[in-house]
Amino acid sequence: MNALTSFPQGQEPETLVSTAAVTVTQVPHRARLSLRARGDLAPLDRALGFALPRGIGGVTLGTACLGPDEWIILTDDAAAVMTACAEVSLPHSLVDVSGREITFEIEGPRASELLTLGCPRDIDAIPDGTARRTVFDGVTVTLWRDTAERFRIDVWNSFAPHVAHLLASGARELAAEMA
Amino acid sequence: MSYRIPERGRVDRSQPIRFTFDGREVTGFRGDTVASALLAEGNHLMGRSFKYHRPRGPVAAGSEEPNALIGTRRGKGQFEPNTRATMQELRHGLQTTSQNKYPSLKFDVGAVNDAAYMLFSAGFYYKTFMWPKNFWHKVYEPFIRAAAGLGVSPTEEDPDIYASRNMHCDVLIVGAGPAGLAAARQAAGKGLKVVLVDEHAEAGGTLLSEPQAVIDGAPAWDWLAATLADLKAAGVKIMTRTTAIGYYHENLIGMVERLTDHLDEVPADTPRERMWRVRAKQVVLAQGALEKPLVFHGNDRPGVMLAGSAQTFLNRFGVLVGKRPVVMTSHDSAWYAAFDLAGAGAQVQAIVDTRGEVRDDLLAQAKALNIPVKLGHTATATSGRLRVSSLRVNKVTGATVGAGEEIKCDAVLMSGGWTPSLHLFSHTKGKLAWDDDLTTFLPSDTPEDCVIAGAGRGLWGVEAALRDGAAQAQAALEALGQTEAAQGYSVTEDRPGTGVTHKELPTDRSPGKAKAFVDYQNDVTAKDLRLAVREGMRSIEHVKRYTTNGMATDQGKMSNINGLNIAADALGKKQPQVGLTTFRPPYTPTTFGAFAGYHRGSHFEVTRKTQIDAWAEENGAVYEPVGQWRRARYFPKAGEDMDTAVTRECAATRASVGIFDASTLGKIEVVGPDAAEFVNRMYTNPFLKLGVGKCRYGLLCGDDGFIRDDGVIGRIAEDRFHVTTTTGGAARVLNMMEDYLQTEWPDLDVWLTSVTEQWSTIALNGPNAAKLLQPFVPDLELTEETFPHMSCAEVNVAGTPARLWRVSFTGEIGFEVNVPAPLGRQLWETLWQAGQQYDICAYGTETMHVLRAEKGYIIVGQDTDGTVTPFDAGMGWAVGKKKADFVGMRGMARPDLVASGRRQLVGLLTEDGSKLEEGAQIVLDPNQPIPMKMVGFVTSSYDQGTVGRPIALALIEGGQDRMGETVHVPMPHRTIAAKVVSAVFVDPENSRLKIGAAA
Repeated sequence: MNALTSFPQGQEPETLVSTAAVTVTQVPHRARLSLRARGDLAPLDRALGFALPRGIGGVTLGTACLGPDEWIILTDDAAAVMTACAEVSLPHSLVDVSGREITFEIEGPRASELLTLGCPRDIDAIPDGTARRTVFDGVTVTLWRDTAERFRIDVWNSFAPHVAHLLASGARELAAEMA
Repeated sequence: MSYRIPERGRVDRSQPIRFTFDGREVTGFRGDTVASALLAEGNHLMGRSFKYHRPRGPVAAGSEEPNALIGTRRGKGQFEPNTRATMQELRHGLQTTSQNKYPSLKFDVGAVNDAAYMLFSAGFYYKTFMWPKNFWHKVYEPFIRAAAGLGVSPTEEDPDIYASRNMHCDVLIVGAGPAGLAAARQAAGKGLKVVLVDEHAEAGGTLLSEPQAVIDGAPAWDWLAATLADLKAAGVKIMTRTTAIGYYHENLIGMVERLTDHLDEVPADTPRERMWRVRAKQVVLAQGALEKPLVFHGNDRPGVMLAGSAQTFLNRFGVLVGKRPVVMTSHDSAWYAAFDLAGAGAQVQAIVDTRGEVRDDLLAQAKALNIPVKLGHTATATSGRLRVSSLRVNKVTGATVGAGEEIKCDAVLMSGGWTPSLHLFSHTKGKLAWDDDLTTFLPSDTPEDCVIAGAGRGLWGVEAALRDGAAQAQAALEALGQTEAAQGYSVTEDRPGTGVTHKELPTDRSPGKAKAFVDYQNDVTAKDLRLAVREGMRSIEHVKRYTTNGMATDQGKMSNINGLNIAADALGKKQPQVGLTTFRPPYTPTTFGAFAGYHRGSHFEVTRKTQIDAWAEENGAVYEPVGQWRRARYFPKAGEDMDTAVTRECAATRASVGIFDASTLGKIEVVGPDAAEFVNRMYTNPFLKLGVGKCRYGLLCGDDGFIRDDGVIGRIAEDRFHVTTTTGGAARVLNMMEDYLQTEWPDLDVWLTSVTEQWSTIALNGPNAAKLLQPFVPDLELTEETFPHMSCAEVNVAGTPARLWRVSFTGEIGFEVNVPAPLGRQLWETLWQAGQQYDICAYGTETMHVLRAEKGYIIVGQDTDGTVTPFDAGMGWAVGKKKADFVGMRGMARPDLVASGRRQLVGLLTEDGSKLEEGAQIVLDPNQPIPMKMVGFVTSSYDQGTVGRPIALALIEGGQDRMGETVHVPMPHRTIAAKVVSAVFVDPENSRLKIGAAA
């Protein structure tokens, strides 16, 4: 399978909105691979060079477990990951989805509150350093909580403007609330 | 402001606020509502009733108000009808108007309905507007429409913004009266997230109306201030102006917070209202009780109001609703209202109680205040034109109503007892139990994690409410693992009380002429309810619909129980046997804005755009929505309409080369050792032996054997397939596949990944497509020998890793280039530039539809309707004859699916060369009597194509056996004859698909 290694656009972070409450930035593309497998994962662990997180929500070295048999791998070298996994005899699926979605980083004192505008999950209950698939304003997203005040959401390209619009108006609403 | 009492109330006298009512300037204070400010100047008349246009004033002081509905305007576009004057807080510059009046509030022409009230009885519309039949559309219906409705709909776009948020908490307490406050105290300080909400501008509930109570040694208002400060310090989130409107499954509560309607200046970026969706582990409902009116002739005259509300207007707003009030009651609570008003200087004319005996302490206090008392009396009438001026009362002895006596007054304070507010509890599907002693329904079991406390379950008095609030909250806390005793409270100057419940009060006059209102807003009287029963209504649900009792915007907050008592009496049954109508969300009228939230304007709904969409926009594309996507429909040049543009695009594509954005096609990557087996089981076509680097068209059916979706499927590797679906079917197909995989075939080692948005897909079609593309694909020879029709390959295209397909949905030489989505536009522009030498033409979905129809290629959902099998569609070739199984195989064997005479897809050519209408019905004999037997319909029809005449596809019974026959299409003004032909209109030999063979 041929892998995409560079993108012509989105190389510079682009700030969508910045208020006292929260700053929303579109961050550069990274290679992204969807991995599916089940059973004894040891062969995949060996090929990847690290143990895949086993619990849903767990994140190890940029790889998040999103389901009982599903991981998303963020990497700078998609080709190397593919080559390594190609040798693994454990049945699995590895699909390049690097071009499928873009990422917004949401950072600030009200970042968590901003997410409540569109996400029905209990944001406060999400531990730092975890990720999960959820919805934001009706759109499927992957939500990463990096720190108490910094999140990332991955959203499919065509849904991104809709999500960005609400993030931007929400950032202004929250800032007005602080004034 | 002669009715304002100094030193009373909680309004801020240092902040006068000017607003207008029907154009007249009125001054109130910060903290006033429109109702309290108007009452402060002695004005009770605030509107006209719905049916009889009777003058009306506020009957309540809160959100249950049925009468005092006004229009409010805060600025351009910021108009709202039916605002409750008792809830609208004052703000500078607020404009308010009365409703349902013409030409003026004080003189109304529609009030003639009142004089003709005998005509407007229950079921009036059903009976009156039946004949003559042809009058309905032209006379009755327009008249009813013009007369119906309260207030006036806004005509301008609302410039306000609306918001929504989700919230999670451990304990949500609805209602910040004594029970709710005690519940919050019980839950606070335990490390739990506790939220306390109240619909009013400030927390306190009953305490705001009962400042005399002394709680644990502190005056009520001091205790309230200290408690609120303590709760805030303990981290309790206190939300005022927030109405819990609905209680949904799994402890989800909808709440609307009103953020700016009370502000003089609205800060930028601040929403008017916010819808909260709260998921609470435990809910405490402490919504209190609503006072019931007494039902007697003239009980709707302005100045007749609930005694408890009069007490609220006095104690919370410092407003005396009348200087010479008379109290008419069947409950102890109204006695205290009389005492409070007397204490504020009112000359209480009398306390009239329907009961023969009342508590000695009440009698003693009345005597001490020199208030005349009349026990065992009924009320039989009121008088006064725009304001009550007297109450007629009569002594009742057994069943005998004595002579009437007029009591002069300027207000009537009535109380028929109290009804627990069970609305949200009922939303939980909570069971209600009838309590004979209290003559009301009380809460019983609920499936939700919810308790109900205080007056909401029939308890009375501040101490009882406080103690129950603590106890019920503790019960909820036990479920959260908190074990602690419920806090105790002791209250002096409390006002416990009891009362009796009545149907309409007895009268010495003709009950048939009494205008004794049960539902004020919908003008339903006791007489109407009894008439409904006489005319055969037995269930309260039927009585409600026949009379409209409880169907107004107040949802029967005042009328339901009185209506039930009267209906039950008329039926001679107990109330529970007659039943209670269902409470439904929202609890109070809610703006559309609050429901819409952020979803308006450009954010109304997701609009998905491809990476190439911006190019299309720059090049003048006209769009059409396809599912959530917007797709370029055609690219008009200057002066072109759709037909002209599409005709040009079709011709250019067949003549040389067209370029088309196919990125919206659904794409699913199927990977794993069992990938081939899985695809083979899902699709009707055989896939096990499809070679790597080959594509095959696939038909997807449901279990029933009917076509659900289609697409081209390429084998990228032994264990990897790239499946395409229709644009609209992408999510549905993936769900269906996952469903089979997870529930039917969990043994298969195969996984599905949506790659719809991973790829931008650019289609090139036309005799010059290969010539255009070849220079960009140096690693692959685009010839019939090395890359024949239905091939696929992973190659570099213009230096970008791509999946290249040789497929055609036009009948021309065709390629689809898939490149990683972000590179789509760059490749499109590269091909566009290079294509100029071939007069490349960008085409949209309309041309795509025409070109495919000329080849007889179906569009699922247009040429199929969920009842079409592959054989019906003339695609039996796509069904693998030797396959062991596939989804739909057994369905297709059902007798009616193999029977002859099924509707089959065929082509149609009209005899007169006209274009048929899509959806037009088809008959065999145009001269048969009506109703004719319809044998099918037109599914696709175009006249912009390259055939030289209009073409159509149609589903016709036994169509494939009718080749050459003439069928008929009856239209409104003529019948069109058409010949049944093959569905393939262009190049039936497929010679144009071959590279080198075409022109």
